[in-house]
Amino acid sequence: MIQLRNLKKDYVSGKTTVAALRGVSLQIKQGEFLSVAGPSGSGKTTLLNIIGCIDKPTSGALSINGQEVAGLNKKQSAELRRHAIGFVFQSFNLIPVLTAYENVAISLTLLGHKGSDVKKQVSQMFAEVGLVNEMHRRPAELSGGQQQRVAIARALIKKPTLVLADEPTANLDSTNGEAILQLMAALNKSHDTTFIFSTHDKMVMDFAQRLVMMHDGSISSDTTKK
Amino acid sequence: MNILSLAAKNLFRYRKRTIITASALTFGLVAYIYMDSLLQGAEIESERNYRQYEIGDGRLAHRDYWEEHEKLPLDVPIEDPAPLLEQLEAAGIRATPRTHFNAELIVYQDPFPEDGALYAQIFGIDPRSNNQVFALEESLVEGRFVQAGDDGVVLGGWLAEDLGAQVGYPLTISTRTRLGYRQTIDTEVVGILNCPNPYINRSAVLMALDRVDEYLQMEGAVTEISLVSLSEADEVALGRLVENRSDLVYLNFAILAEDYLALAEAKSGGSGIMLLILFVIAAVGISNTMLMTILERTPEIGMLRAFGMSDRRIALLVISEAAGIGFLGAVAGITLGALLNIQLVSSGIDYSTWLRESDFGYRIATRFRGTWSIQTFINAFFTAIFLAIVTAIFPVRRMLKKLSITDCLRSS
Repeated sequence: MIQLRNLKKDYVSGKTTVAALRGVSLQIKQGEFLSVAGPSGSGKTTLLNIIGCIDKPTSGALSINGQEVAGLNKKQSAELRRHAIGFVFQSFNLIPVLTAYENVAISLTLLGHKGSDVKKQVSQMFAEVGLVNEMHRRPAELSGGQQQRVAIARALIKKPTLVLADEPTANLDSTNGEAILQLMAALNKSHDTTFIFSTHDKMVMDFAQRLVMMHDGSISSDTTKK
Repeated sequence: MNILSLAAKNLFRYRKRTIITASALTFGLVAYIYMDSLLQGAEIESERNYRQYEIGDGRLAHRDYWEEHEKLPLDVPIEDPAPLLEQLEAAGIRATPRTHFNAELIVYQDPFPEDGALYAQIFGIDPRSNNQVFALEESLVEGRFVQAGDDGVVLGGWLAEDLGAQVGYPLTISTRTRLGYRQTIDTEVVGILNCPNPYINRSAVLMALDRVDEYLQMEGAVTEISLVSLSEADEVALGRLVENRSDLVYLNFAILAEDYLALAEAKSGGSGIMLLILFVIAAVGISNTMLMTILERTPEIGMLRAFGMSDRRIALLVISEAAGIGFLGAVAGITLGALLNIQLVSSGIDYSTWLRESDFGYRIATRFRGTWSIQTFINAFFTAIFLAIVTAIFPVRRMLKKLSITDCLRSS
């Protein structure tokens, strides 16, 4: 369960203060497949960053699985991210010198997993994202869609409670975008992992089980599909 | 995938940059190894030439002589050195008496090219015991060496060249006796030596001690007794001898060569600064490259931070890469430095033209040769790695401190 209570975030640049979030309150249940949508500058990326503990709110409270996040120090935040949160980025952010396999394995290595345990889990994950034959290729040898699958595998391999995806289909064509969404939806169901992704793509919004619309730093609507 | 393995992959990924940065270190290291070898070699050879051709390993002199030694006074000699020499011989200490004084050499046209005069330093040497302490006779290139009871002189090679002297030429020496009277000595050039000590080559005239004694009215006294290779036992025996002769003082190599040693130290310090500047240039190069590497990989570092990699481990990753560059630079620098040093040790660099014209303080007449020092290579190796690590710490710490995770990710 993720709870946001009156989250505010201001960016200060010189004498100018820009309010990116103006008091956002939200409750997200475990296993939800939620899309945060809205135009550029509406605050959706800021919201995802704060939920992902890679940014801090100016005020307000955030709890993940009952743990208050606002008071965590750098080390504790890193610890929480390492265990509980997976990220999927718009530009994939795979490490070019590593193979797809190594890129995924790095998530487990960070948790201290070693040897055959890593091999078994990674191979299984590649089977789930449909890239068994591409495991030992480098990112440059994969298509955009394949790279994003690797990124999803990297985010899910550690079995996080939450995966945050910032515009995961923005760099993909519609066919690949849809395939990625279907994969995420399938994994959401099979792993019971909460997925929160930001988008301004209509097709992605339609895919979401719950759609939170943002406008100018505030939630303008919050609808759940029946 | 551990940190070291990832660091190694990154080094390989940016191989051009790795090579360029390591090359900057290699250059610094080669310069360091080469300069250090040259300086150490010069110091070793200078000291050897100092000892073998000029002052020996130590000296006994009159207590008052040393205070005025630069004037080469004759009025404070060691009186009656014979018993002392016998005692030294009995103690197994190799020694030779000498009388060292200033003089003017006067030459006339025919057979010399022109009339003229030159100041020189005359060493009255005992031909029988001289070879026990000095290697002067070995460097004789023309004629014969000084003999007892003989008025012939042996000239330093450059001095002979300056005078236009050849073996068999007459030479007039003008000086003062022990009592201060003018004395003119007519001699003949019987030999010319060319030794590795430029000071001897440039200004030394060797003459038989017994003849010097007579001409300068020394009455058996000598200005010094030069000694060689003093072991600890020799030092103890010498200490007892000097105790019994309160008029004498023992001067070791460090005192005798005080000016030279101070100069060598100053030169070594100057060269050290030069090397430091070289290393600073290399360090700036590495620092710049590491900064570029970090900036270029900011999104990747942002991703690792987002996935929970601690800043300490990220710093360790970048520092490992820097250490890798340092290692490569060190291996290349040491290999290249060693290869160049082979030539420097075997052939050296010929500075004879400069050394002939000017006095640089070193007692080397022709070639500066390098030397092998394991310590230098060890220092070079670890300095390169240390330098690479230190120069990487600043940019990575700065980046981790200044850029938040979202800043890092945004830069993609």
